[in-house]
Amino acid sequence: MAERTKGYKELFTEVIETGLCALCGACADGCPYLVYYKGRIVLLDNCTLSKGQCYEYCPRTYIDMDAISQQVFGVPYSEDEIGVTKEVFVARSTDAHIKEKAQYGGVVTTLLSLALTEGFIDSAILTKTSVDKVPTPFLAQNAEEVLQCTGSNYMACPVVARLNQVPRNDSNKLGVAAMPCQVLAITKMKKVPPENRVNISNVKLIVGLFCTWALSPDGFYQFLAKNLDLSQVEKFDVPPPPTNRFDVYTTSGKLSFSLEEIRQYALPTCAYCLDMTSEFADISVGSAEGVAGWNIVITRTDIGAELVKVAKAKKKIETDRLPSENLAHLKEAALLKKKRALNEIIKRTGSTDNLLYVRLSPRVIERLLEYKWIKR
Amino acid sequence: MASIDIDAPGTSQLFIGNEAIARGALEAGIGFAAAYPGTPSSEILGSLAAVAKKSGIYAEWSVNEKVAVEAAAGASFAGIRALAAMKQNGINVVSDFLANVVMSGTGKAGLVLISCDDPSAISSSNEQDTRPIAKWLDIPLVEPGDFQEAKDMTKWLFDLSEELGTLCMLRSVTRIAHARGNVKLGGLPRKEHKAYFEQLHDLKRVTPTTFMPVPSSIRHSFLHMKMDRAREKFELSPFNRYVGPDKAGLLIVTCGSCWLYSQDAVKALKLDDKVGILKLGTLWPLPEKFVAEYLNKSQNILVVEEIDPFLERSIMEMIANLPPSSPHPTFYGKRSGHLNAYGELNPDMVIKAIANILHISYQSRDIEYGRKAEAATKSYVPGRTLTFCPGCPHRATFWAIKNALKLDGRNGLVTGDIGCYSMALGPAGFFQLRTMHCMGAGSGVANGLGKLGQFGFNQPVLAVIGDSTFYHAGIPALINGIYNQSNFVLIILDNGGTAMTGFQPHPGTGMTAMGEPTKVVSMEALCRSLGARVELCDPFDFKSTTATLLEMMAEGGGAKVVIMRRECELVRSRKEKKPPYKVYVDPDKCIGEACGCDRLCTRVFQCPGLIWDKKAGKAKIDDVICTGCGVCADVCPQGAIIKEKT
Repeated sequence: MAERTKGYKELFTEVIETGLCALCGACADGCPYLVYYKGRIVLLDNCTLSKGQCYEYCPRTYIDMDAISQQVFGVPYSEDEIGVTKEVFVARSTDAHIKEKAQYGGVVTTLLSLALTEGFIDSAILTKTSVDKVPTPFLAQNAEEVLQCTGSNYMACPVVARLNQVPRNDSNKLGVAAMPCQVLAITKMKKVPPENRVNISNVKLIVGLFCTWALSPDGFYQFLAKNLDLSQVEKFDVPPPPTNRFDVYTTSGKLSFSLEEIRQYALPTCAYCLDMTSEFADISVGSAEGVAGWNIVITRTDIGAELVKVAKAKKKIETDRLPSENLAHLKEAALLKKKRALNEIIKRTGSTDNLLYVRLSPRVIERLLEYKWIKR
Repeated sequence: MASIDIDAPGTSQLFIGNEAIARGALEAGIGFAAAYPGTPSSEILGSLAAVAKKSGIYAEWSVNEKVAVEAAAGASFAGIRALAAMKQNGINVVSDFLANVVMSGTGKAGLVLISCDDPSAISSSNEQDTRPIAKWLDIPLVEPGDFQEAKDMTKWLFDLSEELGTLCMLRSVTRIAHARGNVKLGGLPRKEHKAYFEQLHDLKRVTPTTFMPVPSSIRHSFLHMKMDRAREKFELSPFNRYVGPDKAGLLIVTCGSCWLYSQDAVKALKLDDKVGILKLGTLWPLPEKFVAEYLNKSQNILVVEEIDPFLERSIMEMIANLPPSSPHPTFYGKRSGHLNAYGELNPDMVIKAIANILHISYQSRDIEYGRKAEAATKSYVPGRTLTFCPGCPHRATFWAIKNALKLDGRNGLVTGDIGCYSMALGPAGFFQLRTMHCMGAGSGVANGLGKLGQFGFNQPVLAVIGDSTFYHAGIPALINGIYNQSNFVLIILDNGGTAMTGFQPHPGTGMTAMGEPTKVVSMEALCRSLGARVELCDPFDFKSTTATLLEMMAEGGGAKVVIMRRECELVRSRKEKKPPYKVYVDPDKCIGEACGCDRLCTRVFQCPGLIWDKKAGKAKIDDVICTGCGVCADVCPQGAIIKEKT
């Protein structure tokens, strides 16, 4: 198909220059020309190749959701708001040390630590925050290093670029903690494996994170730097609605910003994203609104389920049933993201036949679209 | 080939024009020579410095051309014959002093200025003709037509300078300066030099000796009198002569290397009996009587000279002053379009002009033969682009600059000037240079760009400057940038010498022109003392160099300095003999076109030591050319280029 012969030029004209780039890092460090630097994808020199992996793996270029879903789960793209699931429940770490540092229930940290110690993986690509709060991809080799990556700062981070840096002959089994767009990029890589760089079959575990939007590491960072001493920051948090706040915990106390003020630094591309719960991950983890100190966990694949099983057996996490009203709330939020995104896409293209980067079955489009939205 | 100080009067020696000039100076008994290196002039001081100790003279590489002439004038003021040499651009640098020293007059000893022009700018930023400065500032000017004259004129100019009491100038061009010919030698005076600044004026011995241009009106009229005396001398000069028939169909008036081209052209056309050549050696002031006498030879006059129509216009002016009854010849040359007013000339061009004027047809060679000869020649010559040498630190520097500017993302730009690094205009420096003018201009231009913030300008500005150029003309620009808080980064490309012109030492090298160790004028200490933030980088370390540049650009504020320190590879390889690394491509790791790197090494990085093996479809190191710097190992994304310590 035509899309297969596109390269960096189209990546720029179709994605980066149109504000669709998610800064996932899929196009970066896979070749000597494209790199990520301070919130931008930078082209260091012109490349003459007409076909590029940079375009191929971008989560904002051609994606047939049914094909991707078939590849991961063996079924077409789910009509379910939160994708294909095995189990949905709440969980939290039993490790006091992790819980203390963790954003919510510490489940991501606990599961990845466990995956490392139990040999599911040999190393994990995570996001580490520097002293001055710049998020940077990091290859954690042990539980100790996983712990260093705990917590979120809500900024986009080119995690997939770190994956692109792993030498092809490196046989370490990899785990990745990824945002939905990054999960999509890695899934695309698995579908058409890179020819000469990363051995994508090394990626054994994808822990997907819930995401409603990610903040620009450039704009948001500058906003923060203007307002406070970033080295004093201990934690960022978006408390559940209806607080409508963005809280920054510093060594000298808590600072709150209105969510509207913060959201202007969200990447424009997040408005076009259909996926809140990392639907193609092995396990998805996010905050559990209304259940403070816990995470919502969704297992989707066998390896995901297996890891949770071991975690439970080893008492690394404790789990509980997700109350049905909370599940309904989660699904509503996920569906809202899909609807909004689809409407934004159609607003941009002016047609349901052209959904920018995504291809959905007419059935799914119909379900997501409420016709009054289009008519508006 | 003989050294310029060979004591063999009467013998003929094969000298390049620059050596002939240096020999002329030795025969004139100079005691002092100063120059700033610049092609095609560098061998004048170079050859004098090489024999300076033996010959009991002093020779120096001055920090710039202005200081060179000023220093030489100092020697002249104290009774020592002195010479200063430079390329055409240097004349601009020293022009302010020249405009004043012509008024003040020279000392008891002669003062001679050599300007080597570079028609076609073969090794220059421009091809300006320096002769007009002689007319502009009232300087007696000669131009040698061959190598013998180069020597003889130089020697004679010292006598003339002393007789007139003014600085005299010799203008040479690349084909005289760098071509080689027989020169019949005179004797070497071998005199003891005694320098003394006479405090009392000669005339009454009551007023102090002063060298200054004031009172200017009086001094100016004195200068005109000196020029009149010079004209009288020039009327009788053996450097001016006519060859040809008594009545000619065409008179060529020529000078310099065009004298040789004109002779060749007339000979090739077999027009010796129809075309006469008036060869002038003394160009300004024009020996009008002498010239007028020969203008009668023909109604048609073709002026052949490089580069501007200097003689052509001077002769036209002269004719305007002749009585109305005088013949009014038709002029051919640059104004008529028969010859170019740009670039070098050659015998073919002169032939074409003559044939055109005389309506004769001439085919210099069989066209088919010419085509074949050209094709045959080309088959032996590998295609080469202007590039940095293998192992050149500049390539690494510009790689880091290119990446840093791209990463910075604010569309930063590089201003630059004259040196090997000027090649960053092209692929060798990844097309990074945006401005290139005279010595130090990049730093000056950066001063302006760096102050445009109030007009919305936020592009980072990087000014590159060579180490020698920094001492020559960069320091005032840096001071200005610090004083006026101009936002730019001055990048000094310190490769440890004046590389482009032949590794002449400069104030940062700790070595003099005469090979004596001396104090190092530390550029970092100097810059820091001015209050600039100074960072030292090894350009071969891409990562930290790029990071330093990024950080300096991000910091903003007034002018700051990054010194890229890496010895010129040509110098290192001469000293160390063996390369630092054995570099090779691991054929298993280099996967060629399949890599996705799109031949970064040979397509973008383009070190001449890297070649693309078309047959194997992989990169390869050219072992003959590779200097083993190992930099390309950091360029290959596959780690396929291996460097091993030797």
